[in-house]
Amino acid sequence: MSTLTEAPPPLAPATPEKKPARRRGRFTPYWLLLPGMLWLIVFFALPMIYQASTSVQQGSLEEGYKVTWHFATYWDALAAYWPQFLRSVSYAAAATVLCLLLGYPLAYLIAFRAGRWKNLIMILVIAPFFTSFLIRTLAWKTILADNGVVVHTLNSLHLLDLTNWLGWTAGDRVLATPLAVVCGLTYNFLPFMILPLYTSLERIDGRLHEAAGDLYARPWTTFRKVTFPLSMPGVVSGTLLTFIPAAGDYVNAELLGSTDTRMIGNVIQTQFLRILDYPTAAALSFILMAAILAMVTLYIRRSGTEDLV
Amino acid sequence: MKTTPDNSGDVRLSGISKTYGSFTAVHPLDLTVPEGSFFALLGASGCGKTTTLRMIAGLEEPTTGTVRLGDQDVTHLPPYKRPVNTVFQSYALFPHLDIFENVAFGLRRRGIKSVKKQVEEMLELVQLGEQARKKPHQLSGGQQQRVAVARALINHPKVLLLDEPLGALDLKLRRQMQLELKRIQTEVGITFVHVTHDQEEAMTMADTVAVMNGGRVEQLGSPADLYENPQSTFVANFLGTSNLIEAEVDTKNGDDLVLKAGGGKLVLPEARCSAPTTAGGKVLVGIRPEKISLTHADDAGEIPAGRNRLTGKIADASFIGVSTQYVIDSPVCDELAVYVQNVERDGRLVPGADVVLHWNPAHTFGLDAAQDIDAGTEEEVAA
Repeated sequence: MSTLTEAPPPLAPATPEKKPARRRGRFTPYWLLLPGMLWLIVFFALPMIYQASTSVQQGSLEEGYKVTWHFATYWDALAAYWPQFLRSVSYAAAATVLCLLLGYPLAYLIAFRAGRWKNLIMILVIAPFFTSFLIRTLAWKTILADNGVVVHTLNSLHLLDLTNWLGWTAGDRVLATPLAVVCGLTYNFLPFMILPLYTSLERIDGRLHEAAGDLYARPWTTFRKVTFPLSMPGVVSGTLLTFIPAAGDYVNAELLGSTDTRMIGNVIQTQFLRILDYPTAAALSFILMAAILAMVTLYIRRSGTEDLV
Repeated sequence: MKTTPDNSGDVRLSGISKTYGSFTAVHPLDLTVPEGSFFALLGASGCGKTTTLRMIAGLEEPTTGTVRLGDQDVTHLPPYKRPVNTVFQSYALFPHLDIFENVAFGLRRRGIKSVKKQVEEMLELVQLGEQARKKPHQLSGGQQQRVAVARALINHPKVLLLDEPLGALDLKLRRQMQLELKRIQTEVGITFVHVTHDQEEAMTMADTVAVMNGGRVEQLGSPADLYENPQSTFVANFLGTSNLIEAEVDTKNGDDLVLKAGGGKLVLPEARCSAPTTAGGKVLVGIRPEKISLTHADDAGEIPAGRNRLTGKIADASFIGVSTQYVIDSPVCDELAVYVQNVERDGRLVPGADVVLHWNPAHTFGLDAAQDIDAGTEEEVAA
C-alpha cells in the first residue's frame, strides 16, 4: 500500500549514478562484434580485395604482375571455360536433386517415425564427418571400381547400357564418368541436405497432420498440402547448402572423374597451382561467385520462403 | 440448417476401451450421445476423456469395442473417411495458409470447387469476415479459436468434437466463447461432443455431462441432475463443493432415513441416498454449501422445526461480494463450507462466533461411505 501513496523516487539523484553504466553499456555490442569482425576482415574481406586486384592484373611470374585494369581477362576466361561452368552447374544441380530425393524420406523418417532410434540414425548421418573428406571420396574409387560390385550389378541388370546411352557413363566403366562425379557429390553433401530438412520437419506440430486427416486429407494429400509446404525452409536451406559447395567442388571431379568431367573448381585449381595464371584463376573465382549469388538470389525469391512462419 | 432427426448423428460407443501396454486409459465404456445434443466429457487430466474423443475422431484405434455414427460402424475407418470433425486443443491451424484457406481446407479435400460463398458465410457466422486473408499467427487467441470452429463446422459433420477448445484462452474470453459456442451449436443443430476439465464450462454449455474418472464414466446426466444428485464422492467434490459428513443409519421414518452424526440427528430422503441403508450402516451425508443457512447460537430458538441442524464455530469468513464464504469448525467435520448470500448480513457472524447450521433435509444427499471422501477435491486432483 505504501508504495502507491508515496511519491515516485526523485529522478535527479538517480541519474548521475546511472550514467557511467549506460556509457559502458553503449559500447558492449561493438566489443562483442569485434573478434568476429576482425576475423572476417583478415580472412575474408582482405583476401577478396587481393583476389579482385589480382583478377585485373597483367604480367608473368618472372616479370611480376601489375594492376592494369585488364577486365578482358573475365571475358577471355568465360569464353575459354564456359563448358566447365555449365558442367559444374549441371553436376551440382543433379547432385542437389539426388540429395533431396534421398535425404527427404530419410529426414522424414527420422523426424516422425524413428521413435527411440532417432538419435542413433542422426549419429549415422553425421558419422561420415569423422573421416576426412578426401578419404571418403577415395573410398568411392573402390566402390565404383571397374571390377567392383556396383559395376557388376549395373552390368548384369543391363543398366550400364542405359547410362551409356544417356551419356552418364562410357564403356564398361562407372569410374571416370559424370555418373561417378555426381555420385561422389551426392554422397559428400547428403548430410548438409538431411540436417536442415530434419530440423524443419521436426518443428512441424504433429497435430497439424491429425488436423489434415480430420479434414478429409489422405496421407499423401496431407504430405503435399501441409508437411511439404511447412518444410520449405528446410528444403531451401538444404538445397543451398548442397548446391553452393557442390558447384565449386573439385575433389570429386579430380578423384572420381576424368578430363571430360572437369568442373570449374578443377580449372581454377589448375590455373592457380599448375599454370600459375593467377589473373585468370581469380577472374574465374569471381565469375563463379557472382553466378552462384545470382542463382541463389533468384531461387530464394521464387521459392518465397520469407512468407513462411 | 437443422436436419430432420434420423438419428444419423447419434454417437454410439459400445464397450470401447483403450490400453497402452499395461496402462488402461479407458475402461470398456458404453455411451450414447443423442443427435443434436451438446455433450460434455468432464474430468481431470488423465481421466481418459481425450482418448475417448480421439477414438470417436479416428485418431486412436480402440483396443476393444465399436464406434458407431448413427447406423454406420466407423470403428476401423481412418479419420479422413469419417463424417466427424475436430476442434483441436490449441487449434492446430495450418500456419502456412491464410484464414480463408484454413476454413476451405476440408471442402477442397472433398473436391468441392466453388468454396468462396460457403467459406464467406462460415466466416460471417464466427464473425471473422474481415480477417479472411490474414495468417493464423496474426490473429488473437479468441479469433484463432473461432477459425478452428469454422474450419470444422464448414464440413457439416455429423458430430463436432471439441478437445479442450477454450483451454488456451483467458477467463473473460472463455466465458464469452462458451456462450458463442452454445449459440453456434443451437444455430447449426449439429451434435457437439466437448471435452473439458472445467466443470463450470461443462455445466454452462452442455445438455448432458459425463463425468469421467480413472478411465470410467463416473456419472452421466444433466448438469443440474449431477449437481443436485451426485452418486459418488468424486462427482460431489469435482462439480462444485460439497460438505461430506460421516454418519450412521439409525432408523427409517417413512421415506426418510434418520442418521446419527456426532451427537445429533440428520434426516435424509431415502430416494436421495445411493448407498445401502441397513440400520447401523455407514453413509456419507452430503450438503452443498449454498443450501445451508447460518444462525447465531443465541438465536437458535428461532430456527423452524424439521430442519437438519449442526452446531459449530466460525473458523474463517471471506467476503467475496455476492456472498460470504464461511468455514465452520463443527464436531462432525472440522471444515464445513457455508455460502451465505449478502442480503441481510448479521454483524455477529465473525470468526470465533458460535453458530447453528441448518438446512432443508430435502437438499441432503447420501453417498456410500466406502469411497474416498476426498476424491475429486482440488487437492486430490492436483496431486
